[in-house]
Amino acid sequence: MADTIDAYSIQNWLESCPQSYLENTEYGHAAGEKEPDFFLQNEVLLEETIKATVQLVVGERCALSASSGLINAAPDEASRRFLATQTLDEARHVEVFTQRLYDLGVRKKDLEGTIQRYANPNLVKFAEVLLEKIDRKDFISGVVGQNIVLEGMAFSVFEMMYAMNESVNPKFAHTLSGTIADERRHVGFGENRIGSLIREHPEKRGEVEQMQKEMSYFMLATFADAFRNNRTVDELEAAGIERPHSQYQGVDLGVMAPEDMEQVLADTVLKEFKTRLGRIGIEYQTPTRP
Amino acid sequence: MGAAAGREIHDLEHERFLEEVHSFEFWFQSVEGYLAGTTYGHRTETADESPTGAVERQRLITVLSNYCIGEMAALEGASGLIAIAPNQLTKIFLSTQVADEGRHLEVLLHRMRELGVKHPAQEADRRASRSLKQFRAELLKLVQGRDWEAAIFAQNVILESLEFAVFRAHAEGADAITKEVLEGIIKDERRHIGFGENELGRRLHGAPHIRTRLTRVREELDHLVLSMLEDSSREIGVPPDQQGELARSYLQSVERLGFT
Repeated sequence: MADTIDAYSIQNWLESCPQSYLENTEYGHAAGEKEPDFFLQNEVLLEETIKATVQLVVGERCALSASSGLINAAPDEASRRFLATQTLDEARHVEVFTQRLYDLGVRKKDLEGTIQRYANPNLVKFAEVLLEKIDRKDFISGVVGQNIVLEGMAFSVFEMMYAMNESVNPKFAHTLSGTIADERRHVGFGENRIGSLIREHPEKRGEVEQMQKEMSYFMLATFADAFRNNRTVDELEAAGIERPHSQYQGVDLGVMAPEDMEQVLADTVLKEFKTRLGRIGIEYQTPTRP
Repeated sequence: MGAAAGREIHDLEHERFLEEVHSFEFWFQSVEGYLAGTTYGHRTETADESPTGAVERQRLITVLSNYCIGEMAALEGASGLIAIAPNQLTKIFLSTQVADEGRHLEVLLHRMRELGVKHPAQEADRRASRSLKQFRAELLKLVQGRDWEAAIFAQNVILESLEFAVFRAHAEGADAITKEVLEGIIKDERRHIGFGENELGRRLHGAPHIRTRLTRVREELDHLVLSMLEDSSREIGVPPDQQGELARSYLQSVERLGFT
């Protein structure tokens, strides 16, 4: 385990983040980059963008609570040090997505109210399932819930958002690319560290599988709300703005209905869960479709 | 990069100042300045002048062991404090502190490895002083009890000030590599103490009754702190007539908050 854990050292983190892809960035993007005017000037698009960004803040706040809470539950000091870097990554994500809300015109004094207003209740429940494990200092369930389920979901969501924004909003795409790089590291740690712990504690499997099923259900419910109640596509069409032909998982998002995009994202995330959970000896549980 | 680049942060109005200094961006700029070009807290080209005598070497390993346990306590404390922090800004600052404390632990364990210790974490636990271990337990009790002011006081004022004073005294006479490692840590500690003083200073100003509670916390921890200072002074070779100076340096921090 020592060699694997060395790859997750703070020294390694310093060399791969601040001294690499975060260098010369400001809130995750190049200095001077701005949100596109047509998003800022169209009331509907602006509200949908704020709503989507709020979900990112909510998810990252959960990740920050979970990763910091896991430090004191970790069975070894190398895991604690990795989780220290993850805590900082998650705090950075909270900060950059909060800054995006400010860039979109949310006033600082309205931040918490805006988050309360738009936070998806299913995403909040998703977070509660995980944070209940963290409160109980359940390291194995906590790491699977955080580093495989939550981070796996975030990874795929960010990749899809990146594809959608790359050509129309380079500022946000750049912010996302840094967070994607972080999430990849977190998912990797989850797989590497937790596999051996699951083998040592086979009695935890049932509980972990139940948690994955519950979290997956709330994740799918969040996706359903986010895509089915989204006015972006209709508004772009009404405004005569052609959607970018973004490629994601081999499909052209620019010609898809929101429900179909939801399906692509859900299938991608669940497939990833199945693969990653299989690698650590957990049997993937198919969630109920909302 | 960085929001504060190119302007004087002390010119900012108070709320904006806090937003700036508690942010990831500020942390990022700060550490980039002194961590760039270092590996495990020191430059690779720094000459290794580690003590060669067995007694001196063992003494240094014991000193580093105590530092490791102190940093472990700080890592546990800071990460636990995130859950009870009153707002997002404070949570973000504490996250930077968590990474700092994790780095300190890592560079100190690495330094022990450089000195020939095969299992530094276990060795640190074996060698660390009883009073330090007790302090760690007391600090965690405050964090788990969700007592924000008392936990911040114990962590960011008492523990950080103690480490600051000891590391500074040690760095003066340390070998070149240990000195660089300690100097990097000291720069971080300054930021942590600043946060603790600022956070508590505002709260004490707004609710003076907190002072009574914190005075009690200090009284409960004082004997452990004095015992740790005494041990550290002896181990790092501070001459007896200068040991009072170390204690004074520590006391200055708590006095800045009005605790005499």
